[in-house]
Amino acid sequence: MNKISRRQQKERLETFCFTIPALILVTVMMYIPFIMSGYYSMTEWNGISKDAVFVGADNFIKLFSSGSNFTETLLFTIKYTLFFIVFSNVIALALAVALTQKFKLANVFRGLFFIPYIMSMTIVGFIWKFIFTKGFEKLFDITGLGFLNFSWLGDPHLAFYSVGFVGVWQALGFYIVLYIAGLQAVPKDVLEAAVVDGATPIQKFRYVTLPLLGPSITTCIFMSLTNGLKVFDIILALTKGGPGTSTYSTTMQIYQEAFTNNNYGMGSAEAIIYFVFVLIATQLVLKLMSKLEVDL
Amino acid sequence: MGMKRKAFIGRIVLLVFLTILAIIYIYPVFLMFMNSFKPFGEVVSSPIDLPKEPTFENITYVVKKIHYGNLFVNNVMITVIGIVGIVFFSSLAAYILDRRRNRYTGIVYTLIITPMLIPFQTIMITLLKAMNIIHLDQSRVGLGIQYWGFGIPMATFIFFNFMKTIPKEIDESAKIDGASTWKTYTAIIFPLMKPVTFTVIVLDVMWIWNDFLLPLLMVNSSNKTKTLVLAAYTFVGQMNTKWQYAMAAMALTVLPSIIIFILLQKYIVEGVVAGAVKG
Repeated sequence: MNKISRRQQKERLETFCFTIPALILVTVMMYIPFIMSGYYSMTEWNGISKDAVFVGADNFIKLFSSGSNFTETLLFTIKYTLFFIVFSNVIALALAVALTQKFKLANVFRGLFFIPYIMSMTIVGFIWKFIFTKGFEKLFDITGLGFLNFSWLGDPHLAFYSVGFVGVWQALGFYIVLYIAGLQAVPKDVLEAAVVDGATPIQKFRYVTLPLLGPSITTCIFMSLTNGLKVFDIILALTKGGPGTSTYSTTMQIYQEAFTNNNYGMGSAEAIIYFVFVLIATQLVLKLMSKLEVDL
Repeated sequence: MGMKRKAFIGRIVLLVFLTILAIIYIYPVFLMFMNSFKPFGEVVSSPIDLPKEPTFENITYVVKKIHYGNLFVNNVMITVIGIVGIVFFSSLAAYILDRRRNRYTGIVYTLIITPMLIPFQTIMITLLKAMNIIHLDQSRVGLGIQYWGFGIPMATFIFFNFMKTIPKEIDESAKIDGASTWKTYTAIIFPLMKPVTFTVIVLDVMWIWNDFLLPLLMVNSSNKTKTLVLAAYTFVGQMNTKWQYAMAAMALTVLPSIIIFILLQKYIVEGVVAGAVKG
């Protein structure tokens, strides 16, 4: 009896020792700052002074009052994320279909499309900043194509598309390889049976490939959703949120509020709202996707 | 005959289209490398052409100016510390969490993976204060350790799902032979985790090597602790960007990733796909 409980005790101690480092690390880096954010969101605090002044829900009220552009940043984030999800998935799926055809260079092309994804987003942003300004100017001189002469980063309306385009350009390779993996898992005999039954290539894709691709589509849409909501580096490098506040994402707003305006309390309140916003968006899309997957 | 011919032409058209698209697609990256070999005047006057008289001046200037060697070592150091910790602590926890299912391990597992839902920007402001209190800020080792906390949730999730596929009989027979739990982990379980360990390494190297915001908050104030991306960032920070230097700095930052990618393309792509499907 005694012996068993001693062995049990040893096992318990082991379980504890093997899992506690991970638990402590996650607690220190994520839970504690998260709880602190919750607390500071109800204070006025400049980040330097020792004591933050407790103000209750004031920050949250201010955020949604007329003087604040916080709601605009949420709208921008939604708009950007939708743009990013639609274009990265549609283009990636089309290219994946093309790249799964049998030809010699297919692997080289896959690699080429993937390269921007292994690069830092900040650097990607800077390269495109150079192209949108210096590169397009030169190309316009050569070709005379009107769109090259537009102010792609200076016009509030166009800047949105520039940021969205660069976001898609950077990440496309990632979604291409995911779709390629999905396409390769579609059983060949099912496709051949469809051809025997007289399906056109488009019918074959719509009624055989696409439904079998359901899980890949869900993964890609979910990944592009979370990545789209996180957009920051590319905007900082390309437009710094400008012109005006036309490309201000919520992440950018939190960053500027805290580290430029020194409103750490307000920044924390924005950070908490952002958390709730991301949570709702991801849960909604997950629900939606599981419904759609059945319909495909 | 007609069908075959149509299909053949179709393939040629597709191939030509893909080739043109791929060249345009990758041109910006090529352009960055090209411009790092041009003098300033040429970068501005002919930004999209090949360099007329290639010069290494920008490269040598940037290498000296940012102490490229030091920064490269910083990047390697931060990445290696981060990866080793993430892989070790996550695999260790995942092993026990899967093999000893009870109320305690259930709660711990939930606690470890739930932070995947917390976006970095939600905690970055207070993280700075928290890390300052425990002296993990302004330090390369400290930054590497911070990545443990951020990387563990996802890595534990991936390791845990993989543990389910390793038959329990394997570690039970080791136990009968008298191996301790620790010994079973090091000699049997960890080696069996190899494919998924590789997935975690690929995902986390790409993340940590290129990460911008966390290093910006934690190690940007001193040249001794900076990372490559941060150094490249400073070249474009000013009003009048010296693009020839900026391009050289960016090319030098990206080059190691591209070389490694070309060498290990197959494995990297496999790792990324596996990570997305499991993660």
